[in-house]
Amino acid sequence: MNPRPSVLSRIGVGIAVAAVLTFTLFPVYWMVSSALDKKASSGGQSLLPQEFTFDNFAFVLTDGGFGTYLRNSAIVALVTVLVSAIVCLLAAVAVARFRFRFRTTVLMLILVVQMVPLEALVIPLFLQVKSLGLLNSILGLMVVYVALSLAFGIWMLRGFVAAVPVELEEAAYIDGASWWRMFRSILLPLVMPGLVATSIFSFITAWNEFIFAMTILGSATDQYTVSIGLKSFFGLHSNDWGSIMAASTIITVPVMVFFVIVQRRLSAGMVAGAVKG
Amino acid sequence: MTMVQAPLPATEAGNSSASVAGGRRGFSLVKARPWLLLAPGLIILAVLMLWPLVQVFLYSLQDYGLREINTGEQNWIGLENYGTALSDPQLWTVVLPNTVGFAAVAVFTTVAVGTLVALLLARLGTVWRTIVSSCIMVAWAMPAVTGTYVWTFIFDADRGIFNSVLTALGLIDEPVNWFTNQWSFYAIVLLNVVHHGFPFVAITVLAGLLGVSKEMLEAAALDGAGAWRRFWKIIFPTLKPVFSVVIILSTIWDFKVFAQVYLMPGGNGGNRSVLNLGVWSYVESFGQNKYGFGAALAVLLTLVLIGITIVYIRSLMKEDEL
Repeated sequence: MNPRPSVLSRIGVGIAVAAVLTFTLFPVYWMVSSALDKKASSGGQSLLPQEFTFDNFAFVLTDGGFGTYLRNSAIVALVTVLVSAIVCLLAAVAVARFRFRFRTTVLMLILVVQMVPLEALVIPLFLQVKSLGLLNSILGLMVVYVALSLAFGIWMLRGFVAAVPVELEEAAYIDGASWWRMFRSILLPLVMPGLVATSIFSFITAWNEFIFAMTILGSATDQYTVSIGLKSFFGLHSNDWGSIMAASTIITVPVMVFFVIVQRRLSAGMVAGAVKG
Repeated sequence: MTMVQAPLPATEAGNSSASVAGGRRGFSLVKARPWLLLAPGLIILAVLMLWPLVQVFLYSLQDYGLREINTGEQNWIGLENYGTALSDPQLWTVVLPNTVGFAAVAVFTTVAVGTLVALLLARLGTVWRTIVSSCIMVAWAMPAVTGTYVWTFIFDADRGIFNSVLTALGLIDEPVNWFTNQWSFYAIVLLNVVHHGFPFVAITVLAGLLGVSKEMLEAAALDGAGAWRRFWKIIFPTLKPVFSVVIILSTIWDFKVFAQVYLMPGGNGGNRSVLNLGVWSYVESFGQNKYGFGAALAVLLTLVLIGITIVYIRSLMKEDEL
């Protein structure tokens, strides 16, 4: 705002940036450095890693079972992303492009659904999944995760769909394009950033979800996803902080890489979805 | 970030002409088309979220335990579960404060920290802004389960760095267990939740801030308006829709704090003084097999959450903004 910031205000900004970065990054740094430090498991650790080692990672991936957990989580997350992207896009087109009776009701309903606490859903869904015989299997989880990511995805995508100039669609109609063709060659490319943002969200939902994974997967360790895998690992090795932090690092890295890559699209998507649809 | 402004206009015109375009295809199809598009989503939501919501209410009216699961019998007891819950003193002295009080503090702190960081980011040059916001994304990306274990490790009584630093500074003589006391327990949960939650607020508000007219802010500054006034008179009104969404979503997320409590030492019901409504419901259901009672607690949680959110929405958004 000020054309020539004073030295004092620049120092202030510098201190603020340092504070933000410390608060943000310290836990992450601590996780990674403990994972790489032999001392973290035996005690006597300090701020910098003292005895550098990859043993924790090796242990976690082999005996710790995280190879399996990572594979399960990847499958669950990818299926969730694909299915929910398709379903969300269809619904977003409906609420952004058409004015119909009960449109506001549908929108409110979707928003209210987003508010329902998982603790309330987990009891009936557990009993339902149990009676269907799908307990202890990631199949049941995927279905639940698609449902969990729908509300947010629809709300976000409708902003993008609404932003596509309708003149483009009309021109396509006049040129005799079918609805499907118009969808594929005009709408889809233009809402791609929104789809990316929605997909990230559903990926994160599926990757991080804990309460359903814990309840539905029970003791079927070969079906565990990473979050419940980490809990069970912690239960078995509760003082081995080096390995616990190594496992935490392994779980976090895929999400971080995703996030940093798509950061700009994600924030744009948030605002587009938030402001108007 | 330039895309931010793009999606704003075009809606109203869009909808009217889209229905004109559809008009050529006959009436019934035009009316059915939005519902056909909505069908998959609505069916999934109905089967997996709305119907279970009805069911959880029905369970809450029953004494539903292992015997009922195995035999399939129903054992209706009316509102008895609610009576038990509402007359339990720990609901009022421990559980509700831990749920509602914590959510209020957490939402306020998250939104305040996020907004301050966004204002800071807006002052930075492009390079630093990219660096700092990428770092912030890293905090956001940390899964709740992971974050909880990292904070637990930091505050661990014997191995935690927090106690080591305090001991080295001479502030404490022997290791303190921060997880037994209700206040210090929730202070750690707060750190965890804010750390995980403020990036969303910061990034979203920043995207909106970059759209606020610079000329207006400069004119106000020339007229002698301080930073505080500029924020409340120009930035906040312009960004009100963004703030509405940020506050509503933060409320929804912070009320549903589960793993962050459940996975901390004593958080899974072992330490009654740190119970919140969600964890209580879960341990009654899956720990004690009292699914009916747990369902009643879950219904209470849902009612509190939906009540608060509806009040928010009505005060923050007008219907035509939907």
